[in-house]
Amino acid sequence: MDLAFTPEELAFRDEVRAWVHTNLPKDISDKVHAAQRLSRDDMQRWARILGKKGWLGYGWPKQFGGPGWTAVQKHLFEEECALAGAPRIVPFGPVMVAPVIMAFGNAGQQQRFLPGIASGEVWWSQGYSEPGSGSDLASLKTRAERKGDKYIVNGQKTWTTLGQYGEWIFCLVRTSTEGKPQTGISFLLIDMKSPGVTVRPIKLLDGECEVNEVWFDNVEVPAENLIGEENKGWTYAKHLLSHERTNIADVNRAKRELEGLKRIAKTEGVWEDVRFRDEIAKLEVDIVALEMLVLRVLSAEKSGKNSLDIAGLLKIRGSEIQQRYTELMMQAAGPFALPFIFEAMEAGWQGNFPGGVVANAPLAANYFNMRKTTIYGGSNEVQRNIVSQTVLG
Amino acid sequence: MDFDFSEDQAQLRDAVRKWVDKGYDFERRRSIVNAGGFDRDAYNELAELGLSGLYVSEDHGGLGMGPVEAMVVMEELGRGIVLEPLAQTLITSAVLQTHAPAELQASWLPRIAGGEAIVVLAHQERGARHHLDRCKAEAKEAGGQWTVSGTKSIVPVGDVADAFIVPALAGGQMTLFLVERAAAGVKAEGYVTQDGSRAAEVAFSNSPAQLITQNGLTALQEAADIGSACICAEGVGVMDKTLAITAEYMNTRKQFGVPIASFQALRHRLADMKMQLELARSMSYYASLKLKTPEAERRQAMARARVQLGNAMRFVGQSAVQLHGGIGVTDEYIVSHYFKKLTQLEMTFGDTLHHLGEVSNRMQDTAGVFA
Repeated sequence: MDLAFTPEELAFRDEVRAWVHTNLPKDISDKVHAAQRLSRDDMQRWARILGKKGWLGYGWPKQFGGPGWTAVQKHLFEEECALAGAPRIVPFGPVMVAPVIMAFGNAGQQQRFLPGIASGEVWWSQGYSEPGSGSDLASLKTRAERKGDKYIVNGQKTWTTLGQYGEWIFCLVRTSTEGKPQTGISFLLIDMKSPGVTVRPIKLLDGECEVNEVWFDNVEVPAENLIGEENKGWTYAKHLLSHERTNIADVNRAKRELEGLKRIAKTEGVWEDVRFRDEIAKLEVDIVALEMLVLRVLSAEKSGKNSLDIAGLLKIRGSEIQQRYTELMMQAAGPFALPFIFEAMEAGWQGNFPGGVVANAPLAANYFNMRKTTIYGGSNEVQRNIVSQTVLG
Repeated sequence: MDFDFSEDQAQLRDAVRKWVDKGYDFERRRSIVNAGGFDRDAYNELAELGLSGLYVSEDHGGLGMGPVEAMVVMEELGRGIVLEPLAQTLITSAVLQTHAPAELQASWLPRIAGGEAIVVLAHQERGARHHLDRCKAEAKEAGGQWTVSGTKSIVPVGDVADAFIVPALAGGQMTLFLVERAAAGVKAEGYVTQDGSRAAEVAFSNSPAQLITQNGLTALQEAADIGSACICAEGVGVMDKTLAITAEYMNTRKQFGVPIASFQALRHRLADMKMQLELARSMSYYASLKLKTPEAERRQAMARARVQLGNAMRFVGQSAVQLHGGIGVTDEYIVSHYFKKLTQLEMTFGDTLHHLGEVSNRMQDTAGVFA
């Protein structure tokens, strides 16, 4: 047992730190640290920089052009990016669909789709949820009917994150209504420029349009865009869910945001208030405990000796912590978090923010935005069902 | 970064677990509680496994092991809610080994390692609460002989132990002494505590004492931190078993014609218990792995760990009783005893609010496992 990283791992971290320091554009990291709005260009600019270095697909094995890093190296990379104020890598391409294409796609699909994902050139979206299919995802109804060498897709997806920017979308579609709901689902890649695809942004409680509805009206999709076998899509989707385990906890970003919370508490004069400060202390303990939990998972993956199947715990705890730090940030600013001035969340805004501290402008919006974290990716209640099953056997 | 246990550590765990399962079942434990909360035979069995000498160097007849081995042992003892105070032996042997003069070490450490002598920490005073630097007991030196006067409370197995490590003020400075229970002026009145283990009020009246160290506060803080790491590990063992007992009960107890494990409200409570257990286990590792770091780092780590452990122990204990329903509040059934153990652990060597204050006061701009 040893808490310290190995000298090789520390050297790796230094290399990543130096590279990120040199290559992460300052205007982008300034926005991230200040929790200001990121544009499509901001996100894609950073993706392309990573792509050029070969690090956008940082979880990929070497055979597909990835760096072939260990679980610990991946964690250290995520940590350095988070602490430096890099935007989160938009996961739908490199983290979510790419591993499915690698595992279940054919050679032609791999050659066609992976390079555009690795370079950050092609923006992918995820088409899973539907208006009638949230936690009960397998009840999804969007139909794909085989007609010759094409599928004709009809239906509606929703909560498609950043789908307004999407160029391609990977969808779970119904190809059969026989048997169990899970066995009639297929995994289909759809060009969002296809005729019949309509995207409508959904305005959320924070005023932003982070998610979308996506309609498919007789959309023709070449049959060669089917991943693996027809009606096996549910299996592939489950593989995807189990693929990246520790990063759902997002503990590295939580560490960065805890620093931000402390800065805000000092600026707003509540750092010396014992009652408020103790709430920060509780959060600090929660974050350290979550980090230790993540490190235990990494260690288990590294040694392969014992498996630690606690992805559900990481999701629940990580999301609760994300909500908590945004809540405390807002409470630290108190009444000065209340003015809702949309433009003030934009970098470079020159107006007068009430109270004079423009850094307070996005705090309430971020608090509202983070309510999603305990809902998406399998709601925390669904996660608790899964966790209890592992305990009850 | 590696959280796997070595072969030796796994064997140590197996040996202690075997003893707990076969040699310390619930009926034996109950009879020990009824007989006053301590059994010398049981303690001797721990000593025969070498555990009383776990921290004692091989030169003094011990195993010379470290915090991770101690953690493994305390987890297993926690699983069996063992009453005999091995944690006290770990604490006092470490303090003597680090701070006591050579002759004092030579006369006590081999006997501690062999199980012939039990030495416990007698530091708790009325009014000091969780503050280690508050002490009213006083020490005087005359003709090369120290004597200690004062009263210490809730001293583990205080009317059975062979000697005490006693903090006392010598010329206003906190100093640690070793006082034998058989020494003149020592009066110990024993009782059982809420978890069924034994403790005593121990009064010292001009009792002959041997100087351990004049660097008393530093040594006492170390002692408390070793104690905290023990509490974390023991708590993990207690909670681990509590969760297993509760899951088994939920699978077998039927209401409305079905196992109560089928009810989502109960399942979610169980999932939350599992969450607290795994966070606590993580922080117990953290505590033990930080035990040998410089004082500021160690203190911060212990406080963080104790906040997590305290919240977890309270939640898991209370939830286990709740999920059992009526049987959970009986003395006859095992789970209430696990609950009481968890309750007592939280209130030993500082409670959760105290440790939260420590975390709060020590906060820096950055925070994490390595900061």
